Amino acid sequence: MPSSTSSFERKIPGLPWRGITVIVVLTVVAAATAWETYVRSIGYGPTLNSTEDLWADARRAVQPESVVVIGDSRGWFDVDLDEFEKGLGKRPIQLAMGGSCAYPVLADLASDEHFHGTIICSVVPRMFFAPPGAPPVARAEKAIRRYRTQQLAQRASQYLAMPLEEHLAFLKQEDLTTKALLDDLPIPDRPNAQVPPRLPSYFGTVDRERRARMIERCAQPGKLQHTIQQRWLRLFTPPPPPNYVPKQVFMENMGKAREARFVDTIKAVEKLRARGGKIVFVRFPVSGELKALEDRLTPRADLWESLLKRTKVPGIYFEDFPELSSFSCPEWSHLSAGDSVEFSKRLVPHLRTALQL
Amino acid sequence: MLFNSLTFVVFFAVVVTAYWGIRSWNPRKNLLLVASYIFYGAWNPPFAALLFSTTAMDFWLGARIARAKGHHARRVWMTASVCMNLSMLGFFKYGNFLLENFQWLVARIGIIYQPPHLDILLPVGISFYTFHSLSYTLDVYRGVMQPTKSLRDFVLAVSFFPQLVAGPIVRAGDFLPQLVAPPKPQTGRFLWGLLLMTLGLFEKIVLADTMLAGSADRIFGYAGPLIALDSWLGVMAFAGQIFFDFAGYSTCAIGAALCLGFHLKDNFRFPYAAIGFSDFWSRWHISLSTFLRDYLYIPLGGNRLGLGRAVINLVIVMFLGGLWHGAAWTFVVWGLLHGTYLVIEHLSRALLREAGWAETFPVKLLLGLITYVAVCIAWVFFRSSDFTIAARMLSGMFGGHEHGDAILSTLEMLQIGLVTFFMILAHWLLRDTSIEKAVERLPRWLVTTAWALMACAIILTQGNSNAFIYFQF
Repeated sequence: MPSSTSSFERKIPGLPWRGITVIVVLTVVAAATAWETYVRSIGYGPTLNSTEDLWADARRAVQPESVVVIGDSRGWFDVDLDEFEKGLGKRPIQLAMGGSCAYPVLADLASDEHFHGTIICSVVPRMFFAPPGAPPVARAEKAIRRYRTQQLAQRASQYLAMPLEEHLAFLKQEDLTTKALLDDLPIPDRPNAQVPPRLPSYFGTVDRERRARMIERCAQPGKLQHTIQQRWLRLFTPPPPPNYVPKQVFMENMGKAREARFVDTIKAVEKLRARGGKIVFVRFPVSGELKALEDRLTPRADLWESLLKRTKVPGIYFEDFPELSSFSCPEWSHLSAGDSVEFSKRLVPHLRTALQL
Repeated sequence: MLFNSLTFVVFFAVVVTAYWGIRSWNPRKNLLLVASYIFYGAWNPPFAALLFSTTAMDFWLGARIARAKGHHARRVWMTASVCMNLSMLGFFKYGNFLLENFQWLVARIGIIYQPPHLDILLPVGISFYTFHSLSYTLDVYRGVMQPTKSLRDFVLAVSFFPQLVAGPIVRAGDFLPQLVAPPKPQTGRFLWGLLLMTLGLFEKIVLADTMLAGSADRIFGYAGPLIALDSWLGVMAFAGQIFFDFAGYSTCAIGAALCLGFHLKDNFRFPYAAIGFSDFWSRWHISLSTFLRDYLYIPLGGNRLGLGRAVINLVIVMFLGGLWHGAAWTFVVWGLLHGTYLVIEHLSRALLREAGWAETFPVKLLLGLITYVAVCIAWVFFRSSDFTIAARMLSGMFGGHEHGDAILSTLEMLQIGLVTFFMILAHWLLRDTSIEKAVERLPRWLVTTAWALMACAIILTQGNSNAFIYFQF
């Protein structure tokens, strides 16, 4: 009896493979170089991608007594880590994420028995009170899941990717991937199609500490700034209730979800405080038509004031202080890189007071 | 470690360089063994121990089967191997599913039983490597092959990293002979392997993840009723996604193996050009369908015991084939639906045996389209996480939601339409040939251009691509 049952061999196409490979390699290198040159010529520069793996790295860096920034993109773009370090005595860890809800990260830190540090939580009411399953909540939960389940191979890929991303502009995932380029094609949708709005395109860079900075092209008036402003308006305008749920039921469910978020936040804050942790809520600047829209859809008294009152957490609302309210967000939602430094400097004394440091 | 990750690129470059740099065959095999366990351990190191223990157990059982005197003793050792492998699979993959169904069953007779939820982490690729390993003891039992004397060779055959976690299901009998003598370095084989890896990654990253996955996820994740157009496009998106995802992985695996001098058989052969369901299963996940045929369908009697028994055997095989994919009744229904298709086809063939018109091209084309549509309908159960979603999807597809919602953008519709059209066209053009023969016939400039375009598209698409769908099985 044979010890083997098969002598299967695949056919190899008879082509001049060496020559073909050389031409392919040269073509790919030339195409990549040309693409890199082009994207730099239209304003892109190398930056790390804001991935779940990068977030997981930052989350792992949290020590028991760390100062941690959580929340949405305003807490991400508007905070300068150097200024916070100077003013608070510790270098903060940046865990805020674009388009995300702060609550899942707050709950995660509150449940972390080792953590009894300080949380600076950015609150944009529409993000903070997003219902379970909504994109802002899903984004935050996805990052936390990655932190908890990240495999060795995923960590290794992140470490390998960073040096590449720091040198090649075309590796900007959010804007320059095939999908992002296709999405930018001006193809009109069916009038009745419920197509979700897109997040705005390139307006920031991210470094290894996850410090986000607005690029200069966005900080200056122009087409990019205008496009981003219009996208914010669309993103912050609530979609109509779905057809398959009666409007009254939908509104009741939204109300219940909002109340549940209040209750869950109170529990998380109590848990954190029981271990000696501290927390402060911060409302970062917003400008222009977006501010008018936010003020109309999420009035300060309804959510912000209730949040402070019910959680008994100190809060800093930028409008309450002249030195904080004098800033203007170029694309209505975030501060320019330069302003974020000055804003952070001016915010520090208020943080120290609120946190009784 | 995913094929579509930077870690794999570095890992593979190091392994290939070291592998071809070493002269002696045994150290090279040792290197592949260590690399395979690093590849697997990068997911969850403790599961590498589980992989080794089941493999070592099958090695020992294979030897016992060969040495046993008498049919009864051989059968006992073979049964031990089957039980060991299936109990591992059962515990890790079906533990909670079995408990939940037991709970439901006893509740029917009035007993309230609340089983504990077992917090079991599914070892990646367990369904695949269990079958790799099981094929060895079954083939030794059947007398098809002699047991290998080298534990190292057998462990390498089961854990060989290109095919370890998502197939193809490579039988020990196909792989062990390739470990007898070292492959000679061949530039053409190596570079063809690289081209296949590029093709596989292109299928996965560009076509499955970028062009189709988002639309399929949105359609199947939508909580409300959808109009027929969006429902059908969502199912077609998934049909394309799962093909490009799984065939892409298999193509990468075949290419990576070739770069190391090993030959793995095809796992897909242009399945969406299948004419009928027997044809479909001879083209889709071939390593699984032949495994089920050789180790289940034929031992059950196949079609040797009459039409009635053949029908029952088919249904049993497809039931278990469905369950192999996942611990959910939706997978069972998917399998049974395919079983039903096969039964109908068998009966139709018996009735139309003499019909010459059935062999004409227009009829074949029509039958091919019917096959594609029926396969798409079955995919609804495969993709839906529960029957409520499946029912909603089917209702939408067959006009049950006249005032349903439209949620796909025009761009998404174009992507699904174009990718599906060119996929089916390519399958029909290539249905009677192989990728190797087709490439050999193409002009060199076209092969070069296609390879370069695929590589550029992969680089352009970069980023954190999704895990392969079949990893969860």
